Amino acid sequence: MKVSQIAGFLGSGKTTAVMKIVDELMKRGHRMAIVVNDVGEINVDAKFIESHGLKAKEIAGGCICCQIAGTFSETLAKLHDSFDPEIVIVEPSGVAIPWGLKRAAEYSEAKADMIIEHAPVITLVDATRIDLLVKAVKRLVETQIREADVCFVNKVDTASAADITKTEKLIKEINPRAEISHMSSETGLGIMYACDLIETRISPRYDEAVEEELLRKQYKG
Amino acid sequence: MAEMSHIERVMAAITNAKGDRLSTYPIACGVNRNLVNGGITYRDWAHNSKLFAQAFIEGQKAYGFDYAIGLMDLSVMAGDLGAGVRMDEQNTPFVDKPVVKSVEDYEKFKVPDIKKGRSGVILEGTKLFCDVLKTQVITAGFLEGPLLALTQVAGAERVFMDMFTNPSAVHKALAVMTAYDVEMVKGFAKTGCAGLCWDYLWGNYSCLGDKEYDEFEGQKKYAGDLNELTTKEGMAFCIHNCADLPHLDTQIKAFKPVIYSMAYYPLIPGSPSAKETIEQGYADNCLVGGQIDPQLFIRGSVEKITQVTKDLCHEVKTALCKRGLGSRYIIASGCEVPPDVHTKKENIKAVVDATKKYGVVDW
Repeated sequence: MKVSQIAGFLGSGKTTAVMKIVDELMKRGHRMAIVVNDVGEINVDAKFIESHGLKAKEIAGGCICCQIAGTFSETLAKLHDSFDPEIVIVEPSGVAIPWGLKRAAEYSEAKADMIIEHAPVITLVDATRIDLLVKAVKRLVETQIREADVCFVNKVDTASAADITKTEKLIKEINPRAEISHMSSETGLGIMYACDLIETRISPRYDEAVEEELLRKQYKG
Repeated sequence: MAEMSHIERVMAAITNAKGDRLSTYPIACGVNRNLVNGGITYRDWAHNSKLFAQAFIEGQKAYGFDYAIGLMDLSVMAGDLGAGVRMDEQNTPFVDKPVVKSVEDYEKFKVPDIKKGRSGVILEGTKLFCDVLKTQVITAGFLEGPLLALTQVAGAERVFMDMFTNPSAVHKALAVMTAYDVEMVKGFAKTGCAGLCWDYLWGNYSCLGDKEYDEFEGQKKYAGDLNELTTKEGMAFCIHNCADLPHLDTQIKAFKPVIYSMAYYPLIPGSPSAKETIEQGYADNCLVGGQIDPQLFIRGSVEKITQVTKDLCHEVKTALCKRGLGSRYIIASGCEVPPDVHTKKENIKAVVDATKKYGVVDW
């Protein structure tokens, strides 16, 4: 089972992007499930979920090592046993740590007969609010960018060129390794590429990353 | 050196007197419900003070810890403040319906009656297990700090954004959370517990800088007042913080807790290891504890977790020796042992056994 995280702070366009990505991946023939942070938010699209036979499960905010890990891993194990999705799209809280979620996902392997693979961790950064985000929640945004494989500058259809450039610069400063791309979850720009990434690429497992000290090497180098 | 009692050992560590070995406490709380009546649900455990207490008593019988710390979960206060809490049969409960939908909602909080709800259960349950265990081990209550309680009841992302856009509303809500905590501190003081462990989760550089943390939880108000009250009420003031980048200068050097429990994130640059924490002086005046990966209790083998404990004992003893600190470290999990039905009881025992064997301090 492949787990794909679409991270980003509250209001970054995650839910819209997740819905469009799921729709496209289903058109490509994949059996999909989604796990969201706030099931209330996703209920807006309940008809969409019903019509596509998706399974939505919520994931709580809080402490990943003890609080979320058990619930999240149990959710993945149950999804596997009941629905056996090929790809699970996860929309975590903006305070979740992507590597922590990877670890929790792998720990579902102890609860069901499956192997977890990770799609590239995608972080959406809202270019229209980049100044506010940097002022208000800089450290949380930095954490999500730091741990991403691919960062999408989102809402490029309405953001100014200056804000897009500023967002790209910020991403490069925080995570020079990350691939940067553009998205408009409203117009659909970037959705096909995000689906390609999820379908074809693999991101390292937590266990491998610890063994190889991936992040520490990245920062040192 | 002759084998010490649990309490003698911990007191030696706190006062930097000669102790026989490192003390140990895999933070096994909810998981011990599996030792009660052949295994009970999380819902039953978290709603019944007698069952809550029994889990700690059975855990002590099974494993022989040096401490008993009454952690239930992090949604106790939020639930009693009106948030919706999802409680699965066998998973940690969590808030699934925060109550703040607009800025005005921050001003609607009121301190609940702490004798009711799960606040009442945890207070009564703590008293019950302290009645039995306080002559055997170091006991402590466990309480959410005001900022943690607010982020649980209001939603963390919302609170973090509102700290910047609507700080006065956040402060008004924090004042109520603090008043709620004051009532709880006074309640815990009547349970007979030796200490009170605060969860100050957001003292984390991944989330807040020094300035923001100082404003919304720091030494001048909120946490500062509660820490002082804890001591005034006769309990040892302790902190648990499983953050990846904890505010150690504030939470250890400025707050001055007696015990500080922390985690280690090997992937995160700057996340302090046990050795680094000791070398940087944070254990000089504080009994620090950690940092075994909680998920090893589910995924690891006895051999693996024994080796990890052995290595940690060696790392810690070497670092302590260099600073003239004999046994001032607790071999513990970095966060709660997952309260999961898949958690391996033998791994909890292995940590205690390995600490007894490899944690002996050679004076």
